[in-house]
Amino acid sequence: MSLMKAPENTPVWVDTARCKACDICVSVCPAGVLSMKAEPASTLGAMIDIVAIDSCIGCNDCELNCPDFAIYVADKKADNIKFAKLTDEAKARAAAIVENNYRLPENYGK
Amino acid sequence: MATREIISTGNDLNAIAAVDAGCQFFGGYPITPSSEVMHTISDLLPKSGGAAIQMEDEIAGIAATVGAAMSGVRALTATSGPGVSLKAENLGLAQMAEVPMVLVNVMRGGPSTGLPTRVSQGDVRQARNPSHGDYRSITLCAGNLAECYTEVVRAFNLADRFMQPVIVLTDETLGHMHGKAMIPTLEEVKAGIVPRKTFDGAPEDYRPYGVAGDEAAVLNPMFKGYRYHFTGLHHDAKGFPTEEITTCKNLIQRLEDKVMMHTDELELNEEFMLDDFDGSDGEVLIVAYGSVSLAAKEAIRHLRKDGIKAGLFRPITLWPSPADRIRHFTDMTKNVLCVELNIRQYTEEVERVSGRLDLEGLYKVNGRAISPYEIVEKVKEVF
Amino acid sequence: MAFNYDKYLRLEKMPTLWCWGCGDGVILKAVIRAIDKCGWKQDDVCVVSGIGCSGRFSSYVDFNTIHTTHGRTVAWATGVKLANPDKHVICVAGDGDALAIGGNHTIHGCRRNIDINMIVINNFIYGLTNSQTSPTTPQGMWTVSQKAGNIDPTFDACKLAIASGASFVARETMLDPKKLERTLVKGFEHRGFSFFDVMSNCHINLGRKNKMQSAMENLDWIDSITTPLSKYEKLTPEEQLNMFPTGVLKHDTEVREYCDMYEDIKAVQQGKRKVITQDDFEKKI
Repeated sequence: MSLMKAPENTPVWVDTARCKACDICVSVCPAGVLSMKAEPASTLGAMIDIVAIDSCIGCNDCELNCPDFAIYVADKKADNIKFAKLTDEAKARAAAIVENNYRLPENYGK
Repeated sequence: MATREIISTGNDLNAIAAVDAGCQFFGGYPITPSSEVMHTISDLLPKSGGAAIQMEDEIAGIAATVGAAMSGVRALTATSGPGVSLKAENLGLAQMAEVPMVLVNVMRGGPSTGLPTRVSQGDVRQARNPSHGDYRSITLCAGNLAECYTEVVRAFNLADRFMQPVIVLTDETLGHMHGKAMIPTLEEVKAGIVPRKTFDGAPEDYRPYGVAGDEAAVLNPMFKGYRYHFTGLHHDAKGFPTEEITTCKNLIQRLEDKVMMHTDELELNEEFMLDDFDGSDGEVLIVAYGSVSLAAKEAIRHLRKDGIKAGLFRPITLWPSPADRIRHFTDMTKNVLCVELNIRQYTEEVERVSGRLDLEGLYKVNGRAISPYEIVEKVKEVF
Repeated sequence: MAFNYDKYLRLEKMPTLWCWGCGDGVILKAVIRAIDKCGWKQDDVCVVSGIGCSGRFSSYVDFNTIHTTHGRTVAWATGVKLANPDKHVICVAGDGDALAIGGNHTIHGCRRNIDINMIVINNFIYGLTNSQTSPTTPQGMWTVSQKAGNIDPTFDACKLAIASGASFVARETMLDPKKLERTLVKGFEHRGFSFFDVMSNCHINLGRKNKMQSAMENLDWIDSITTPLSKYEKLTPEEQLNMFPTGVLKHDTEVREYCDMYEDIKAVQQGKRKVITQDDFEKKI
């Protein structure tokens, strides 16, 4: 199995040079970890943003569904990462993000 | 050159020559009058560890052949005129991607379905440009039974040297002619095999298409540690598609120059009874190729007996044409007769390179051979 | 896990030229993961792609790659495979490439049962050339070559493959890349013609004028027309009319593969066995 070493203590990370802002990873993330943000210089004027990294459950759906090799999830054993459990709060945030055109609503949770 | 005697047909000799020259793959489809090439090679190739396959259509036949050639083996396909028409697109990809392979066209009456069981030389013009775009076709034409063998061997070596398809034209007369031929021994052929150039440096330094402006690509066989990309799109030194203006221009120019700047390695002619030509009155130059040349030679023997100083210029490599050599004779000889089993297809090339529009011609397109008698009568009629 | 995709990618060609959210990239990823799982060496793999957006697949992966003419991937691959029977050959073609212009070659690749893996990236349209009708475009959808509405009936690519004789036939979608990967592994490891109908999204071309402008909307549509085989078999004929079964639809390990049978021809010609006759085959017609 070819594995890539994760950055220190990082469950999920992105390669912004490859992201085309297609929204797919945001739509499949069950835990509301991801959102799109405005990025004028990028494709479609948007870019992937990790908004709740501590909620990442390590399901790998974002990595598997990304067409552009722009997002990666660490390996539990190889990278010694402790992923979170999926909470109702995380699910609610995910729903809110999808509702709001894949963008975390402003002032969410505040 | 050490020779051996063989009794066979033109089609069978194509197949035997291919296997002797190291061909390991044949992909084809039945079409009269070339099918016997496939039948014979289907028995010979597996015997020597190669593979022959009758595909579902002509296009698949050449696709499989080019695929095998891309993977690194010498590969052959054989067909007739309608098949070349179908294969044209993939021939073009082989030209563009610089894939060596040999295509035998056993010419029959055309156009379209034409006369499947009868002879013509009607695909000569097509062989110059079977596919669209800019490139230079290399086309050889066998003029007798022995050349049905030797020209296929030469074709494989030329294909590997120039890294592109080489067309070998024969015709129904030669394809089905059964007779004796003196051909090189197997040892001679094996000793003369010049395989394609390969790169043996570090894989990361490998640039298959990164060669000088008059050189052919250096394409390593697949599966040996050098991974690169083949495409029919314009491509860069590594084979990847590109639209960059200088790269595109240089690529197409190189496809032209790799052939046209090295025609000396391609040219092959027969000059039959031309040694005593010196431009004096009454000399008759006959230009003919393929099976017609057999009749022409016989006609020349008769003409000479009748006191007419005739000789034959026979190009064996038809494309690119031997322009300088043709011009040498057309500048010197007033009376020129072009004889072909088509309407002026090579005559127009002779006109082009000689600058003359006063050439006489004997053309036949009814599927029958031209007899020596017809050539003798024509010479006496027009000169 | 963080899989090392870079090992299999031609990094200088990234990012891909595919549109944002295009399924081609997800399939590329699943194929890489499947090849890795099968333990194939990169040098032993040849990827042959056709013309179309999916045709660009071969330029992104670090294997021996060929970008052929439109519709000819299987015929091309047959030459590569027959000349190198112990290597791994994968064809990638779109629905138009594989089923329209390439239909004949697809049929005969299946018929020969040659050990080639054919991945049809079925996005129900001609994507690269901007929305012409393909043999799988549903009737009634808008296409640029039938702006009045598509009247052309469609193929079921898997039924075609099964009828033509492929020994491994499967259908998956972009919605579950992990399932796609598992199915690819099964097919890759199968010795025989492995046919995959992979339903993908082309929201830019198909979706644009057919009310599915985003990748997610297009994927939702694909979700609505597919269901696992076990569930499909329980549907009524009326329900089955507008559903495709997914999963492995055929997996025959008994039928002989073409290159293996060709070894028999070699043996006959080399005098190592007697001529092949009807007695060598159970199926005599």
